[in-house]
Amino acid sequence: MFKILNRQILFNNWTRLDVRAPEIASRVKAGQFVRVSPEEGGEHIPLTVVDADALKGTISIIVHHIGVTTRQLGGMAIHASLYSVLGPLGMPASIEKKGTVVCLATGIGIAQILPVVRALKKAGNKVVGIIGAKTKRELLVESQMRLACNKIFIALDERSQGHQGLAVDIFKRVMKDENVQRVYTIAPVDVMEEVCSLTRARGIETKVTLNTVMVDGTGMCGSCRLKVGGRTVFTCVEGPEFDSHSVDFRDLRMRMNAPRTTS
Amino acid sequence: MVIVLSMNVQPARRRIKNFKEVSLGLPKKAVIEEARRCLQGADPLCLKGCPLGIDIPAFIRFLRDGHVSAALSKIKEANCFPSICGRICPAPCEGPGQFDQEDVRRVELPPRRWCKGIRVLERYAADFGNPRFAVKERKPSVARAGKRVAIVGSGAAGLTAAAQLAEKGYRVAVFESMDRPGGALRYGIPAFRLPRKILDDAVRGLKTSGVEFKTNCYVGRTILLEDLSRQGFEAILLATGGGIPKLSDIPGADLGGVYYAEEFLMRVNLARESALLRKELNFPLGAKVAVIGSGNVALDCARLAVRLGPAPGGASRKVTVLSPRSWDDKRAFQQECAYGQEEGVSWESPVKPLELIADVHHFVSGVRCVRLDYADVETQGRWELMPVPDSEFVFEADTVIMAVGHGPNVLMNRDCPGLRLNADGGLWAGEENSMTSLEGVFACGNVIKGGSVVEAMASGQKAAEDIDRYLKGR
Repeated sequence: MFKILNRQILFNNWTRLDVRAPEIASRVKAGQFVRVSPEEGGEHIPLTVVDADALKGTISIIVHHIGVTTRQLGGMAIHASLYSVLGPLGMPASIEKKGTVVCLATGIGIAQILPVVRALKKAGNKVVGIIGAKTKRELLVESQMRLACNKIFIALDERSQGHQGLAVDIFKRVMKDENVQRVYTIAPVDVMEEVCSLTRARGIETKVTLNTVMVDGTGMCGSCRLKVGGRTVFTCVEGPEFDSHSVDFRDLRMRMNAPRTTS
Repeated sequence: MVIVLSMNVQPARRRIKNFKEVSLGLPKKAVIEEARRCLQGADPLCLKGCPLGIDIPAFIRFLRDGHVSAALSKIKEANCFPSICGRICPAPCEGPGQFDQEDVRRVELPPRRWCKGIRVLERYAADFGNPRFAVKERKPSVARAGKRVAIVGSGAAGLTAAAQLAEKGYRVAVFESMDRPGGALRYGIPAFRLPRKILDDAVRGLKTSGVEFKTNCYVGRTILLEDLSRQGFEAILLATGGGIPKLSDIPGADLGGVYYAEEFLMRVNLARESALLRKELNFPLGAKVAVIGSGNVALDCARLAVRLGPAPGGASRKVTVLSPRSWDDKRAFQQECAYGQEEGVSWESPVKPLELIADVHHFVSGVRCVRLDYADVETQGRWELMPVPDSEFVFEADTVIMAVGHGPNVLMNRDCPGLRLNADGGLWAGEENSMTSLEGVFACGNVIKGGSVVEAMASGQKAAEDIDRYLKGR
């Protein structure tokens, strides 16, 4: 069983869980995710592995309590066991030495981009982080991001300490000031599309990480299918990271909203 | 003429409100009557039809004489899971009724009367036979003891191979990526056709005979093939099955409200029955559901959609199967179709879906279809289904489920380089020894070539024999 060794409430409805899963911890790479189910017969949901410790045999996941399953996961106590954890799933993020790399993330995306930022820095890149949230308290792993990035910008909706403008506006400024070689982004579809249109004009390679609906996470059901480069791909197998200039954002927007619109 | 046996069934009104088994089997009197119909001829056709090689006349003979446990014992000599086969096998032994038409024509068997009740007789023996008298005596060989075999995938082929190898005395471990063993039997077939208890009993039986199950383990990701070899497994059998949906080329297949059957079945089968009954399934299903397909999977989806209760807003749900095959030529089982009709599933056939029509929100609002009819186009006596001129119509639907077939699961090939593939995308394995392009790695079931449950079981049986031969020679 997958025992919860540590639990930390990050904010109102955000919880970090450290789960014992030695096999996954020894193999997981930045950008990969696990499929988690809190109890037998429950829903299986994909969650990005934020951190892994191969020596301790633990992986860390961050849960945003918005549905039945995530609320259940967030409410689990230390020493309780998760019913099912499968992974590592998906392809690892493409980590190469490129020079200056911008990592833009908002909301839960900040937690998802953290392992990518760490790996990019380790590979010798200069990492510029742009993280955004509604309030300062909702900046999930701000301190870890500050440590991992060479330079960090913070975008908040509220006028408070550290407010430096909207994430996309900051991104435009960074593009002017820095010689950006590659961009990574995990954000709502509108933000990713805007970033993508800015980088396309300058011919900057851009990677997006997509959080589509998944059921089994192993490519057997097709619920995470998406149009990329004119062909249908399964996000759980070929993703979750894609070249943003090939992603069909209209299809993505429709697929992200599909389960909610008709129910 | 198709003989439909009078089964005990749950009444349609009751069964559309639950997920329990629909068909409750034949009563004893009918079983004996049906067993007596067997001609017990010298050259029975049913023997040629069964891929597992069950001695059908022999077990029917036992049933006829009232020896149910002896009949079960006879079946178990060739088939480890008669209670599963007795429910979902396409029954090629019953003649050219369902899937085996082309094969039977090819071998030019003489036209004779086919028995139509073999599957239900098998089910009766499995349900009412006493396993204590039915289980074969286990004879572990000293030479084989201690040798370990890993089986990847716990579907029909994997479980059959595990049972056969455990019976031969090997130490077998089954690796499964889902949380419970069963593969397509659990996640691809609804509980009203194959109750989960039957599957759980089969798995429990295997555990009792020493088979170890490791769930939540994705071979190729959580653990690699090399790791399995390092852990002391002398042979590895890949039985990862089929299941990857074939993407449809119908325009509009990427619209919202369009699902593939695999996704729909997996979501429903993953959920607890109690959650389904409380309508807690977070699956958006509209009031007008169209299922495109003509096989058992299409019918399963349609019948599940009926059971998932009224549409959001309380409107009653109308479910229709749009079948490109004629009613007489459909792939779904005759009896299951009859059950579906009783439950309120309509059948529109033969029609060919041309396009899925989008509404302003880029969601499906209808299916543009054309009616088909048999026509001798080249006037050479070859009657084929052709579109009827000026017969296009729009079938209104707010949810479309595509049951258009699936391909083999060769995802492992990405994570385990070196495995050779067939031209059709399946794993390559030698016909004579079931071995893949990697030494000591075998493959069986739908990962090689698509087929029915019983064919997957037969493939698992053959692979077990091949592994036994390989390990004996080492």
